[in-house]
Amino acid sequence: MSVLQQGATEEKGENARLAAFVGAMAIADMVKTTLGPKGMDKILQSMGRGHEVVVTNDGATILKSLYVDNPAAKVLVDISKVQDAEVGDGTTSVVVLAGELLREAEKMVLQKIHPMTIISGFRESCELANKRLEAVSINNEKDEKKFRQDLLNIARTTLSSKILTHDKDHFAELAVDAVLRLRGSGNLEAINILKKPGGTLRESFLDEGFILDKRIGVGQPKRVEDAKILVANTPMDTDKIKIYGARVRVDSMQKVADIEKAEKEKMHDKVKAICAHGINCFVNRQLVYNYPEELFADAGIMAIEHADFDGIERLALVTGGEIASTFETPEAVKLGRCKVIEEIMIGEDKLVHFSGVALGEACTIVLRGASSHVLDEAERSLHDALCVLAATVKDKRVVLGGGFPEMAMARVVGEAAATTPGKRSLAMEAFSAALRAIPATICDNAGLDSAELISQLRAAHAADGATASGVDVITGGVGDMNKLGIYESFRVKQQVLLSATEAAEMILRVDDIVKCAPRQRQE
Amino acid sequence: MAAPATSRKAKGETFKENARKKDVRTTNIEAAKAVADAIRTSLGPRGMDKMVCQANGEVIITNDGATILNKMTVLQPAAKMLVELAKSQDVVAGDGTTSVTVICGALLKKCLDLLERGIHPTVISDAFAAAAEKAVQILEAIAIPVDLDDRAALVKAANTSLSSKVVSQYSSLLSPMAVDCVLKVLDPARPEFLDLKDIKVVTKLGGTVDDSEAVPGMVFDQKASTSAGGPTRVENAKIALVQFCISPPKTDLENNVIISDYAQMDRVLKEERNYILQMVKKIRASGANVLLIQKSILRDAVTDLSLHYLAKAKILVVTDVEREDIDFVSKTLGCLPISHVDHMRPAKLGHAALVEEVPVGKGKVVKVTGIERAGRTATVLLRGSNKLVLEEAERSLHDALCVVRCLVHKRAMVPGGAAPEVEVGTQLARWAKTLVGMESYCVRAFADALEVVPFTLAENAGLNPIAIVTELRNRHAQGETAAGINVRKGAVSNMLDEAVVQPLLVSTSALTLATECVRMILKIDDIVPVR
Repeated sequence: MSVLQQGATEEKGENARLAAFVGAMAIADMVKTTLGPKGMDKILQSMGRGHEVVVTNDGATILKSLYVDNPAAKVLVDISKVQDAEVGDGTTSVVVLAGELLREAEKMVLQKIHPMTIISGFRESCELANKRLEAVSINNEKDEKKFRQDLLNIARTTLSSKILTHDKDHFAELAVDAVLRLRGSGNLEAINILKKPGGTLRESFLDEGFILDKRIGVGQPKRVEDAKILVANTPMDTDKIKIYGARVRVDSMQKVADIEKAEKEKMHDKVKAICAHGINCFVNRQLVYNYPEELFADAGIMAIEHADFDGIERLALVTGGEIASTFETPEAVKLGRCKVIEEIMIGEDKLVHFSGVALGEACTIVLRGASSHVLDEAERSLHDALCVLAATVKDKRVVLGGGFPEMAMARVVGEAAATTPGKRSLAMEAFSAALRAIPATICDNAGLDSAELISQLRAAHAADGATASGVDVITGGVGDMNKLGIYESFRVKQQVLLSATEAAEMILRVDDIVKCAPRQRQE
Repeated sequence: MAAPATSRKAKGETFKENARKKDVRTTNIEAAKAVADAIRTSLGPRGMDKMVCQANGEVIITNDGATILNKMTVLQPAAKMLVELAKSQDVVAGDGTTSVTVICGALLKKCLDLLERGIHPTVISDAFAAAAEKAVQILEAIAIPVDLDDRAALVKAANTSLSSKVVSQYSSLLSPMAVDCVLKVLDPARPEFLDLKDIKVVTKLGGTVDDSEAVPGMVFDQKASTSAGGPTRVENAKIALVQFCISPPKTDLENNVIISDYAQMDRVLKEERNYILQMVKKIRASGANVLLIQKSILRDAVTDLSLHYLAKAKILVVTDVEREDIDFVSKTLGCLPISHVDHMRPAKLGHAALVEEVPVGKGKVVKVTGIERAGRTATVLLRGSNKLVLEEAERSLHDALCVVRCLVHKRAMVPGGAAPEVEVGTQLARWAKTLVGMESYCVRAFADALEVVPFTLAENAGLNPIAIVTELRNRHAQGETAAGINVRKGAVSNMLDEAVVQPLLVSTSALTLATECVRMILKIDDIVPVR
C-alpha cells in the first residue's frame, strides 16, 4: 500500500541511514587527498559548453561544483560552503572530520547503539574538545610584533597546502600586509585582486592603491594629480527616451537635423553638468561615446569608460566617492579623491593606477603566473589566506597546527571517555578517534606511515599535556610545532569542530529518506 | 622529542597510492607529452612547419608553437594546460613557444620515471622548483649584457628568432626592420612602457616578402574613396580624424519623415543636399584636406552625396577607420579626434607633407609621409605572394619584435643553438652531485631532461643527435659555455662567433614557465566531472 505519489521513493531505517553514511563518506574520501601540505590537486572538468578546466586544491571549490545526488552528501557540501563563507578556510577539514565522525558512528550503529546515544556522546565530546581548544590557544594581542609574526605563520600554514607553497613566504608577507592595512575592519572588499597572465608567481606584488583594468580616452590627460573623481553609472552614448515605440514624425529633413542637434545639445549639457562638479576624472560604468569623450578631452578631464560593475563599486569605496547617476545637484554628490592617477604597464597591458586613495586601507594585489589555471588557483589560495587572516584579526587567538589541536582535543575526550560510565563513553571514544583521523590523513597524503606516527603523537600528548608536538610532514616525523612556526587560526579550527559535529549529528538523526516524484516534463 | 631518531629518515619522500590515482596522473602526463611531441619537429632553424586545417576549412601553415597549439582543439585537461603554457610564453617573451612546450614534455617524461620509482610527487615538484631557480641563476651568469645602442647585437638576436621561420631568407630585411621599429617606439625615459601595439603591421597580398618596408609615417589598409572622383594625392596635407558621420541626419529616436506630396519630396531632397553641403563647407573652412572617417554601425559614415561634395572640395577621404585604431592614428599623426562638425578647429588637425594612394600588389593603400608632429609609433607594410606566406610572415615579424622587446626589458643575451640548455644541464648535473637524497636524484633528472633541446635540434636538422649531444656535453664540461649546434655546418661551434644569440628573458621564462606547468600537472591526482 503506497501513500506516496507514483515515482516517489522512500528509504527507511537502516537503509536510509546506510545511504546517508555512504554518501557522506564518499564525499569526504574524495576531498581527503587534498588535505595538508602534501595534498594533491584535482582537475574539475566542466561537462557544460567549452569543457572548461579548473585545477584546484580548495575543498569548497571542488565540492561546490560537484554533481551530488545524495542528500547526506549535500549536507556536507553545504557545511563546506558555510565554512567558506564564515571563515574562508578549513573547507576540506570540516568535510573530512564530519566524514570520519560518520564512519565511526556507522560502526556503532552496527553494534546496535542508538543514534541518540551516539549524538549525546558526540555533543559532550564536542564541548570538551572546544574547551580544550580554547585552553591551548595563544593570544598575542598585546604584542604587535609577535602578533604580526603569528599572522605570517598562519598565512604560511594556509598557503603551504596550495599552489603558492613554493613562494609562500612572499605571499604570506603580501597577504599579511594587505590585511593589516585594513586595520581590523576586515573588509576584504577593499583588497582588489587583479590577475595578469605572464611572468611567474613570484613577480606578484602588492600595490598601495587601486588599479583599474581600463584605458584612458583618446586625447585626454594621461596623468592627473590631486584628482577629484566622479564615479558614475549613466549612459554617455545617448540619452534615450525609454518609452516603447516612441518615435519622431516630421515632414522635413531640416527638422530631423534639428532633433539630432537637440540630442547632441542634451549630451553637451550633460557633460557640462558633469564638468560643473569641478572634477578632473570621470569614471563611468557604461560606454562613453566619441562626442562626450571629445568634450571631456577639451575640458581636460580624464574619462574612463566601461569600467565593470565590480570596478566602479570598489573604486567608489576606496576613493570615498559615491556612484552618481544624476548630475543636477553638484553639491549633493560625494566626489572621490586620490593623489595621482596615471597609466602603468603590467605585462602587455596598460592599466589605470589610482594612488594615494582616500581609503588608506585599500590596496591591489597583482597576481602574475604562467597560465590562467595557475592564476585562478592562486587567487583562490590567496583568498583563503586573506579570509583566515581577516578572521584572525577579529579573533586574535591562534593555535598550533600540524594536527596538534586535534591530538590535544582527542586526548581530553579520550580521558573523559575513560571516566564516563555508560554507552556514551563509546561515542566519546569514537569522537576522539575521528579527531585523530585528521592528522592521519595528513600523514597518508604525504606518504608517511600514519599508524606509526599517530601512535607516537598520542604517546607524546599523553605523556606531557603541555607538549607542542604535531606532524612534521617535511622531515616525516613528530616535530615541535612551535619551533616550526606552524600556526592556525583559532576561529577556523573552532568552526571546523562545531560545524562538523553538527553536520554529523544531523545526518545521524535521519532514519527515513523520502524522495519526491520528479516533476513530469511536458514534451 | 618523543620521536626516535629513526623516524627522521626521509619517509616523506616515498609514495604509495591506489591504482586509479596513478592512472589519472599517468594519463595526464601521457596526454601532455603527446601534445609536446606533436610540435617537437618544428623546433629550430631546420624545424618543419605544420599545416593546420581549421573547422571552417581555412588552412594555416606555421612554425610558431603558440599558433599551432592555439588552433589545435585539445580536450584532455592536462593537454589544455600545455596549450595555456605556450600562450603565456607568448605573452611574456613572444618567442620560444615551441621550446617551452618541448622542455615541458621532456620534464614530464622524466617525471614518469621518477614516479615509477615511488618518489612522492611533491618531492619531485619541490626539487624541480629548486632546479629551475638554480637554472635561472646559471643563465644569468653566462648572459652577456646588451646596450640598446648596439643595434648590430639586437639585429643578431632578431635574426636568430627568424631563422626558423619560412621567411628566414628575408631575415636580413626583417630583422633590422623589427629592431628599428622597436627603437622608434621606445621612450628612452620610460622603457618599461614599451607597447608593441604602437607598431602597426599592415599586410598586403602581392609581391614578395622582399618588397616589405617600414613606412616612415603611416599606412591605411583602406584605399581612398574615389567613387565620386576625389583626389588621391594631397601635398601639404591637413588631416582631420573625424568621428561624426557626413550623411543625412539621424536621431537616436526612431524617426519618420512624412511626405504627403511631390513638392514636399523635392524639398526634402533639397534639404538633405543642403545639410550635407553645409557640413562639407564647415570642414572646408577648417582647412582640412584629408579626412579620416571612423566606421559607424548605426548609420552610414558617408554617403555618395557627401563623397561627391567632398571630392568637389578636393578633400581626400579615407573611410572605415576602426574605433580601436583611433588612439594609434591620433598618436601617429599628432591630431585629435573630432566628434562634431562644429568642433572642426585647425588646432586639432594633423599635418603631413604628403598623403597619397599608392597601388600595392592588387590593392591600394593610403600612405601618409612627412608627418610634422609624429608620435612614437611605427608602421610596417608587409607583402607576400600568397595569404599563407603573408600570415606566417606577420607572425614571424611579431616574434622578432617580441625578441627585441625582451632585450629592452632585460638587457642581456645568451648564446643560441641549444647552448644555454646544455650549459644549464651540465652545471645542474654538477650541482646534483653536491646534494643528497631524492632531491639530488630529481635535479639530475631535470638536467637530463634539458638535453631534449639539443637532441631535437640535431634530429630536426638531420644530424646524428647522439654524436652532437655528447660532443656538446664534452665541450661544455670543458668550460665552453657558448658551444652550440651550428645547424648550417652540421657541427658544434661557438655560437657567439656565429652570431646566434637570443634574449636571456626567452630562455629563463621558458624554463620557469615549463617547470611551473609540470609542477601543476604533478600535483593533480583526480579528474572530477562537474557542471
